Amino acid sequence: MKMTSLRSFGILLVALTLFSCKKEATRWQTDWLLPVLNDTLTLNQYYNDSTLSINGSQIDVNLSRTILDLGLSDLIQIPDTTIAQQYQANFTVNNVSPGFMFVNSIKTHELDLGDIQLKKVRVSSGQIQLKVYNPLNTAVLYQIELPGVTQNGQVFVQNYTVQPGTAQNPTVATESINLSGYDIDLGGLQGLEFNQLQSKLTLKTDPNGQTVSIYNNQVFKFEATFSNLRFDYAKGYFGAAILAGQEQFTLPYLDQITNGSITLPELSLDLQIENGFKMALRAQIEQLSATNTQGQAISLNAPSIGPSMYLAPAVGNWNTLQPSTLNLHFDQNNSNIKSYLENLGAFQQISYQLQPNPWGNTAAGHDEAFANSHLRLKVSAQMPMALSADGLTLQDTFELNLAQDLNKTHVTGATVLLDATNAFPLACDLVLYFMKDGQILHTVIADAQLASAALGQIDPTDGLLKKKSKIKIVLPPALVADLQDLNEVVVAATFATTDPNTGLAVQQHVQANAFLALQLQLQLQTQIRP
Amino acid sequence: MRYLLLLLVIGLQSFYAQQTLLLDSYGSYNSTGVRRQVTDAFLYGGLIDSSQINRSLAQLQKRNSFGLQMGLNAQWQSPWLVSKDTKKWASGYRWTFGAGIHQYAGLQFSKDLFGLVFQGGLPSIGDTLDLSNLRAEATIFSKIGFGFYQPSTQSSFLLHFVAVQQQLGAVLQDATWFQDPSTAQIDLALVGRASLGGMPANAYGVALDIDYRFGSSDSSENEQQFQLLIQNLGVARSAQTNTYNFNGTLAYAGFSLAAWQQTNLDQLASGFLDSLGYQNTKGPNWMLLPAQIQLAKILDWGSLQRLEAYYGAQFILRQTYTPLIYAGAQLKVTKGWHTGFGMAYGGFGGLRMQAYSAFRFKRSELLLRSDNIALQNGASLYLQFRCDF
Repeated sequence: MKMTSLRSFGILLVALTLFSCKKEATRWQTDWLLPVLNDTLTLNQYYNDSTLSINGSQIDVNLSRTILDLGLSDLIQIPDTTIAQQYQANFTVNNVSPGFMFVNSIKTHELDLGDIQLKKVRVSSGQIQLKVYNPLNTAVLYQIELPGVTQNGQVFVQNYTVQPGTAQNPTVATESINLSGYDIDLGGLQGLEFNQLQSKLTLKTDPNGQTVSIYNNQVFKFEATFSNLRFDYAKGYFGAAILAGQEQFTLPYLDQITNGSITLPELSLDLQIENGFKMALRAQIEQLSATNTQGQAISLNAPSIGPSMYLAPAVGNWNTLQPSTLNLHFDQNNSNIKSYLENLGAFQQISYQLQPNPWGNTAAGHDEAFANSHLRLKVSAQMPMALSADGLTLQDTFELNLAQDLNKTHVTGATVLLDATNAFPLACDLVLYFMKDGQILHTVIADAQLASAALGQIDPTDGLLKKKSKIKIVLPPALVADLQDLNEVVVAATFATTDPNTGLAVQQHVQANAFLALQLQLQLQTQIRP
Repeated sequence: MRYLLLLLVIGLQSFYAQQTLLLDSYGSYNSTGVRRQVTDAFLYGGLIDSSQINRSLAQLQKRNSFGLQMGLNAQWQSPWLVSKDTKKWASGYRWTFGAGIHQYAGLQFSKDLFGLVFQGGLPSIGDTLDLSNLRAEATIFSKIGFGFYQPSTQSSFLLHFVAVQQQLGAVLQDATWFQDPSTAQIDLALVGRASLGGMPANAYGVALDIDYRFGSSDSSENEQQFQLLIQNLGVARSAQTNTYNFNGTLAYAGFSLAAWQQTNLDQLASGFLDSLGYQNTKGPNWMLLPAQIQLAKILDWGSLQRLEAYYGAQFILRQTYTPLIYAGAQLKVTKGWHTGFGMAYGGFGGLRMQAYSAFRFKRSELLLRSDNIALQNGASLYLQFRCDF
């Protein structure tokens, strides 16, 4: 009977084991359509902000940018400086009674400012740190006076009572004072010198202290450290040091152009040099060149590129200051500006020189600079926003991280659907290159072109010429299977302003309020694995 | 459980007094519309092909149910008397010990939800999908306990200590999904709640098993004997249950370029949840166990009739379970072999064919039963084994 029972029990266990046996993953296919991008690209944010302006039914480029701006603090600086004044007796003085004054002297300090000779400055920001040493075995009253440093007519004076110390371990008192708003006269005792700062140290023993002796190894000292000084007024001779610069910068998007060309309408470009300092100025643009992504370089040629130009000093004071200006105009009659811009140079290089007082100290130390004094280089351009593009290809690389676990729910097929309404006169062809470690593994081409507005019709609701496009980019199964290995995708967009009748690239004007509305959806075939 | 069974087998060989081992195992799943091949893929693995999904969809009503039950009960009816004093009522009872493990999973869902899950959103673009009245309940628990039984009637009463391994309860009262055919915008509205016990659930409780036999013990008296079986009637308390609430709407038509550049996926997901009014709270929770109540006519080995009727009804304390009734005719093939054939309706499925066979040996009995012999939208197998030694 026991055997029978155990046999039945075994059957039960086998049945339960089979029932719970799971051999492969449960899975099924689903299809989804996911909205990803829903946006309208316009130029609205650039209207009336010194970039674009609307001119009737068209858009004009009305660009105004400051590319160099030097202020007073950039030109005139006093490096962080420490001045010190000390007293040391030549012989021992015994029985010094309380309240005895034993030092009262002025010292002049020279500031090393190169060829700049400053007579007067006003501090907009910065501080002075005072450090006082007392080696005497009674408290000493220190009075530190900077005769040339004043605020509202009051001379800078600081008094300290420093507790007793020893010659080996003098007592130190330290204080930091904000100098904002102080005038500093650097003209010396007579006011005829420059870069000179005076200090006066007065010492008195504690009136309530004891009678002491002053020995010749005791050094009474103060140190004043000026730091981070910035000025909003300076007067003197600002020197004739040449500010030579070579700036390199990359224009956005142009560095992504890999092919094609554009033709621009007639245009002009202005450079304005502005001198807000009351000093003569020499300016020289030595070279302006641009290199495109194909390595083709071009230099801007114009009569004003190369030679020195001279600007008179600014006139007026403080709020009435009138800078002197010099305008340099570039157009097709006096330069190769059109060719220069059509080269689509992403990598721009400019070499320039700025020199104050090119003829020396002819103003006898009366150069002046105020808070609103600036040396500026401004560029402005005006032209209709129109171009002719022929195979203009922008290419950009994006990192890709779409790793998926094939043992879990994963995508087995994907199609990108782009629904666009284009009011720009540009057609666009899209190609995607999927790469692994820099090697192209898959190339996917959109099945249709994002059509130019030139092929469309005028929408009576807004009066804009626009064209709708539906683009499908099918990612083949082999690509989807490789998704976990791919790490970069290159998107190449080729633009053209094609004439709908001739098929040739022609110059097209951008309509006022032009836009590109995009709806990007992702159609996914997904294998669900719960 | 394996060790428990081993212990019982050892015990079976150790005692020579009158004692009984009862083993009761079951596994069944069924649906009102989902084809068995779909469910089998979840149980045995494999690909659910689109034709099976389409055929299931064609069968589904607006509201549907699916459920699964598995379990194993073991009971050792000892020879030890509760009281040796024959004057006391307890002298008629003996101690019994039991253990078991049970799994219950029930789901009520709409046809649209099934389509969305198994086909995706693309085939139903432009249609408003009604996902409302989704209800999901799942519990896995084990139990061990003791009690007493009456040898003369086979009635028993056991008190169990219960440990809940997994607990899920979810209700979606109101939910719709709409995807615009031109813009692909997804409009989702959700009002619902879900509670999920941790893994492990850290929930413990008590439950009663009552097996009450009544009627004549001998059909020769021309009376039937019935069994009122109540199992797992009890409660458990979870130390920590996560409760998720949704009450909101979401309209998603894609993001702008700036949003994609400035926001990461976590922030976007968080924005979705905020739109849907998502809230998560944690705390202790009481839960009712899936108690099973069954009233049935008992198989009478001593019946003189060769052909007679059998019938019964079963109810489980769960909202996803529909009361099950069954009835049929049984044939006494030999003295030790009875077999029956009938129909069942309810539970997780519709009307289906039922059959059983019971074998009686010298000191043991074996019963095999299926409530779905045609494997209509599911499968069912019950095994009962009784051994006296």
